[in-house]
Amino acid sequence: MIVANDLRKCFKRPGVRKSAKNSDIVAVDNVSFTADDGSITGLLGPNGAGKSTTLRMLATLVSPDSGTATIDGADVSGDVLAVRKQLGFMPHNAGIYPRLSARENIHYYARLCGLGKQQAQERVGQLIEQLDMKGFADRRAAGFSQGQKTKVALGRALVHRPQTIMLDEPTNGLDVMATRGLREIIRQLAGDGHCILFSSHIMQEVAALCDHIAIISAGRIAMEDTLQGILTRTDQTDLEDAFVQATGSATTEQDV
Amino acid sequence: MSFLVVMVKEIVDNLRDRQTLFYALLFGPVLLPLILGGSLVASFKQLSIDFDEVSTLSVVNASSAPNLVDFLYSNNIDVVDAPDDIDQSVRYGDTLVVLEIPEDFSEALRNASPAPLTLHVNSADKKSSKASRRVRTILNVYEQTINSLRLQHRGIDPATFNALQVIENDVSSEGANGQLLASILPFLFIMSMVMGGYYLAIDTTAGERERQSLEPLLSLPLSRAAIVFGKYGATLAFVTLSSLLTAISVYTLFRVFPIELLNGQIRFDGATVTRAFLLASPLLFFISALLITVSAITRSTKEAQTYLGLMMIIPMAPFFVLQFLTVRSTSATMPYPMLSQYQLLESAVLGNKIPWHHIALSATGTLLGTALLLALASWLYRRERILS
Repeated sequence: MIVANDLRKCFKRPGVRKSAKNSDIVAVDNVSFTADDGSITGLLGPNGAGKSTTLRMLATLVSPDSGTATIDGADVSGDVLAVRKQLGFMPHNAGIYPRLSARENIHYYARLCGLGKQQAQERVGQLIEQLDMKGFADRRAAGFSQGQKTKVALGRALVHRPQTIMLDEPTNGLDVMATRGLREIIRQLAGDGHCILFSSHIMQEVAALCDHIAIISAGRIAMEDTLQGILTRTDQTDLEDAFVQATGSATTEQDV
Repeated sequence: MSFLVVMVKEIVDNLRDRQTLFYALLFGPVLLPLILGGSLVASFKQLSIDFDEVSTLSVVNASSAPNLVDFLYSNNIDVVDAPDDIDQSVRYGDTLVVLEIPEDFSEALRNASPAPLTLHVNSADKKSSKASRRVRTILNVYEQTINSLRLQHRGIDPATFNALQVIENDVSSEGANGQLLASILPFLFIMSMVMGGYYLAIDTTAGERERQSLEPLLSLPLSRAAIVFGKYGATLAFVTLSSLLTAISVYTLFRVFPIELLNGQIRFDGATVTRAFLLASPLLFFISALLITVSAITRSTKEAQTYLGLMMIIPMAPFFVLQFLTVRSTSATMPYPMLSQYQLLESAVLGNKIPWHHIALSATGTLLGTALLLALASWLYRRERILS
């Protein structure tokens, strides 16, 4: 379970002196939301809205300037190792090693997460089965399709059986069949009781997959509810229209 | 022991990379010693004159100086007839040198007036110059012999004309020339270390950032120190392998082509090369740390290649500076990494005695520098900016 409270993060504007006015860019501004176990939460927002920065704060890769967040009770600013043990994080670029095979890529992460050689081999075998990677498990990753790369990256994120799983734009660059396959896997994981946080800028995807949606725009959460709740609150029938409505109000709020 | 997992992965991963392998196993350890050592051996063979070797000399009008021809013969030079067009032949290298004896040579000798001789030589051609030096050396001896005989004939002690007898007592065990030769070994060692770890360091740090595989790696439940030390360990393994291979190839090169340098003062035998390797070994740690720290600062492999390319000047600097400046090996120079190893390795090659406290100071200074660099690298990896 993820609980985020008023997360805020600024970055220094490149090429501007620290003392100068407006030297900081506010990437994430007071973001709060929760993501429950056994459900799929979508973080929906346009490019540059602060999705990746939010996920990075939750993954303990950057520390928030203010605000708190916990992953299964562990504080992201405090007990970093405990958070990382609970968390499987797949950043938005697969980032796999091209000279290692799919199996070796996942095995490496298994060993780094503290699994013994035998255990790691078994776990990698399970994941190859679960994610349907048998056809390319022992090929080097250099020539993999985007879908194959994503599967390897997902396998790596799942290798230490984390309770909470965060996926940053996982369907980027995937074709229709690969996207459908990935959705199936994500549903299965939620069905097994995992907490899934999923970021995307694609409406249909979020609408099709997520139980709970947090709309993020310009670093702020514009609205957070179930799909039905969001449609009702914005008085729309389509998530896209609801999104425009919700973020439009967010901008007005900001301007005021 | 996560750092071992990182280290093994980086080694396996980079063993599959041709660039890394080329630089670590071929360029530093084989090509560089072959180019540098090989040209040294070749130029040495070209410059040194072997007076025992029988060679021929083209002489014009040999019949008018039979004694001289006999003298040349006794010095392993067979006289042959000169070509028709002397200048042409020497210029195009068909004949190395031609000695021309004029008709009035023996008459001039008889009259005790200077007897003329012309030596045709092409000074732009190294082989021709070498042949001419050999001939001139023999002619000098011949001239001195005649001079002595003439003076004794007139009842004068030839020693009368040696007003001075200068004895040079060279107390340095390393001539200027020797230093250049001796510094080839530290140069090769240090270059092979840098080349050995160069691509691996770039690939495991800047390359990992560029591939965007660093972000998932850093979100794993393991300490940043484990990651840094794993990458350091892999770099160290390649650096060590590369310099070991260099030691072997230098030893093999001078074993296959034995040359006597400075009357045997400079040696590249097994014991010397081993000693030099051990003296240089603290640098393995230092250079590995330098490589991963510099590439951790950079954002892309291209940037890392630029920075590390500039860094190549550092190992070369002592090599060139020590050619111009005589920096004596003292306790003050020993704590500096690279400089001290240059001096220690030179001494090892020249067979000089090295004080124990110099070795201790050099190792301490180098390892201290290593610790600082590793602390810096760990700090760089803890910054959030490592991801941007």
